[in-house]
Amino acid sequence: MFDKSKIGQSFPPFTVRVERCKVYELALAIGDTNPIYHDLAAAQAAGYADVPLPPTFPTVLNFWGNTLMWQQLAETGIQIAQVLHGEEAYEYLAPIVANDVLTGVMSIVDGKSRPSMDIVTVETRYTNQRNESVLNVKTMFIVRE
Amino acid sequence: MTTHANIPTSRYFEDVQVGDVIPQLVKSPITHQQLVRYSGASGDFNPLHTDPRVGEAVGTGGIIAHGMLIMGFVGQMLSDYTGPLPLQKFGVRFKGMTHLEDVITCTGTITDKYEADGKGYIKGKVQAKDQTGDVKVAGTFVAALPYRNA
Repeated sequence: MFDKSKIGQSFPPFTVRVERCKVYELALAIGDTNPIYHDLAAAQAAGYADVPLPPTFPTVLNFWGNTLMWQQLAETGIQIAQVLHGEEAYEYLAPIVANDVLTGVMSIVDGKSRPSMDIVTVETRYTNQRNESVLNVKTMFIVRE
Repeated sequence: MTTHANIPTSRYFEDVQVGDVIPQLVKSPITHQQLVRYSGASGDFNPLHTDPRVGEAVGTGGIIAHGMLIMGFVGQMLSDYTGPLPLQKFGVRFKGMTHLEDVITCTGTITDKYEADGKGYIKGKVQAKDQTGDVKVAGTFVAALPYRNA
């Protein structure tokens, strides 16, 4: 049973630099051969300031930016081994390109108990090196009993 | 909602109509190597996606792909359609497990087109299915497109 008193809890901010090689690595894993993700010169020729991010790059920011994520969620009582990924939603607020340095803050924004499962939603809000809001990532987890 | 002037795009607001079909994306069969690659790229090292023994033990019928990889395929389709920067919102629900050798096809249609604050927006629904038609992810997106004659 999810402890509703945890709704609203935030975790310590983390900082993550957007590395070109991580963009390349993600594009390679997805199988996206668009040269803007693989080559700075190609990105600039297409009009980008630096290598842009594939739409699902935020998952890299969440996992590699905050390697304590599972530990932090486990400490709120969530059974991590029972977690399924239910939904993922991005709000792209301003462009992010390689070499930006982002700060993320994860919070628990919703949680409810249903027969045989809990539904927990966390949100990570990112700002860049100019303190501009650039990205919100919302993840809904289904925690089976 | 923030929009971005003068951003690279492969499409203009005038070019898109409600009901338009987004060119579908058919991916190569999912391989074990791809899931290992995706684990390292994303940082999601849940062994369900890489260790067949864990997959057998929890009854998923062997290893299963990361849901985020399948969302990544849909993201590739959207990136091909508008370019990455026009995207304002992109969200999906995970509806089914994807196994090795599954062939994922991503599809989408434009459901709405509107102007707000002098900007042009398109809205669409997207889906990823396997070779049997089983839906793996379904979701929506919003993109802000520049005007051709801005």
